[in-house]
Amino acid sequence: MKQDILREANYFYNFDREMYFNRDTRKVFSAEFIADRPEDEIAKRIGEPGSSDGWKFYSNSPLPESVKQELESVLG
Amino acid sequence: MTERTIEDRLRQEYFELLPEIRRVEAHLKAEIQFHTLPILRSLRTHEQLVIKSRIKDCESAINALRRRTKEGKRREFATFNRNRPEEYSLLDLRDLAAVRVLAFPVARLEQIDEALKPRFQDWTPDPIANEQNEVLAPKYYVYCADAGSNVRGEYQVVSMLTGLFWEVEHAAIYKPNPDLKGAERNSELQDLTDKVYLALTSFEQGFERAILQEKS
Repeated sequence: MKQDILREANYFYNFDREMYFNRDTRKVFSAEFIADRPEDEIAKRIGEPGSSDGWKFYSNSPLPESVKQELESVLG
Repeated sequence: MTERTIEDRLRQEYFELLPEIRRVEAHLKAEIQFHTLPILRSLRTHEQLVIKSRIKDCESAINALRRRTKEGKRREFATFNRNRPEEYSLLDLRDLAAVRVLAFPVARLEQIDEALKPRFQDWTPDPIANEQNEVLAPKYYVYCADAGSNVRGEYQVVSMLTGLFWEVEHAAIYKPNPDLKGAERNSELQDLTDKVYLALTSFEQGFERAILQEKS
């Protein structure tokens, strides 16, 4: 199950912003991205390297810069 | 001077709309009470029909808009685009005023839905479904012309136990902690919620069978 894949990879769910995040790899998935993609694709994306500077976001639609900035301030 | 945020602007809009929201709620509830009166009169002793209404409070409305697009779809990451404040209006919400019809047993749901449909035939259906896309409750929304031309109203017809579960869930979890509203999108919690729906439906159907057997 998708939930098991995320849990095993140490992703936590942020209730307010509806996103799964991992502070070590600094990667974030929207709940919509997870809902709309098959398990093998999610596992593949989790396996990709994280960003060297800042957070790496996975979403169905391109994220406006102001949204990225706000999410980064939430994630810390 | 500090710039007004999107939330500030939406709060102002909310209080400008509030009189119309109240009119839509009152009008919608009265219409539904009137059109379900024949069913209410025909209920047997163990059956129930309860009509409840509410208006969305200001902060819940802003949070809902943060989570939903104009088309009613989920907004990814539930975050406003601060560079596009003109894109957001509370008038995009479909449930600023809402009525819920609770019925027991489930056999009454279809009868109530059929009684209301002719009155509200111009309304847009937007049924509430579980993760397997099985309809839990018929739901409709539209402008309520007799009460105002800006605010949309919503009504839903739901089984008593499922509707009361939603009330408990809302009162115990989401009302005191609005930032937990996104729990609905957590796949683990969705699975658990579906199990609750299944158990409640199974109980209602079993209870109804038992009552019918005893009465026959």
